[in-house]
Amino acid sequence: MTIADQVLLSVTMLRPEEKLLLGALRAEGLTARPLLMEDLAEVVAGRTGGPPALAVIRNLSHRDAISVSRRLEYAGVTTLNRSSVIEACNDKGLQSLLFARHDIPHPVTRHAFSYDQVRTAVGELGMPAVVKPVSGSWGRGVTKMANAECVEAWAGGRESADATGKLFPVVVQAYVDKPGHDLRVVVVGRTPVVAIQRASEDWRTNTHLGASVERVEVTAEIDKLCQQVVDVLGPGFYGVDLVEDRAIGELLVLEVNANPEFAKSSERHGVDVAGLYAAYVAEQLSVTAAAA
Amino acid sequence: MTTAIAAPKCLVCDTEFEVQEDWEKGEITECTACGQEHEVVEKSAAGVRLDLAPEVEEDWGE
Ligand SMILES: [Zn+2]
Repeated sequence: MTIADQVLLSVTMLRPEEKLLLGALRAEGLTARPLLMEDLAEVVAGRTGGPPALAVIRNLSHRDAISVSRRLEYAGVTTLNRSSVIEACNDKGLQSLLFARHDIPHPVTRHAFSYDQVRTAVGELGMPAVVKPVSGSWGRGVTKMANAECVEAWAGGRESADATGKLFPVVVQAYVDKPGHDLRVVVVGRTPVVAIQRASEDWRTNTHLGASVERVEVTAEIDKLCQQVVDVLGPGFYGVDLVEDRAIGELLVLEVNANPEFAKSSERHGVDVAGLYAAYVAEQLSVTAAAA
Repeated sequence: MTTAIAAPKCLVCDTEFEVQEDWEKGEITECTACGQEHEVVEKSAAGVRLDLAPEVEEDWGE
């Protein structure tokens, strides 16, 4: 290849999400191509006809997402989302610290670096409390501590698998008594483009765990929280998870994903997330080109 | 195990895949007969090479 691609779509594999994005980028008139891990060497070596104008990071693997984005950035390529943002979004502990520092409403969160600190934190927050690995995904490893027996069962099981505590830190969060559903808001640039309510029998409401999906209006409160998140992380492509705390009747930001899934939900709520994201990418490219 | 033929077969049930014009390297595609997911590992004039789609790993996901 002698002419540099304008956009590289960095992927672990091309799922329906990424296929939609690729099609949407090309529909914007951009030359776009998937970038698999094995192709990265050629790109950073400059053997692909010059650096791309931009790389969209959609790696399913967190480790790869950070590795690719950092390497591209060091090679002078702009990435969406930026590596620092991906790092913050892939670590629930770092996210919590950012939210606290910037007064973003968030469940009360403690950071634990040992089994004893988990016990202490659960004791202080009261039960039920929720223990989360800082880097889990799709709700894996998230445990609700209903009582002291749960804590001991969790600690005992984990200690036998991880005696040296390599899997720390974890976050311990106050359990939010939510009304049986939570909200996922997809943000493109600074704009919340769609809000969906996810309802589930399970107390975790990931669509991955079979939660149902219903489109809801982006209210002023939702918009305000998303703006706060964007003010801290910068404009980008986010899935912002909000949960209503029934005790205070207000929304909290539970977490922000830098690699939101949208293919299935787009079908249901009818918002062309891929098209909106591609239009945003095209706009960013024209801004960069005009500045150069 | 991979296969490198113009009309690749499902690595599980041997059903022939219909190769789509727009298939890209890295794309995940399902066998219409048994549902097994395959990854397009190579696409060239010679044909399409498929492998079984990778299993979900610990650090995958949102
Ligand atoms: Zn098959």
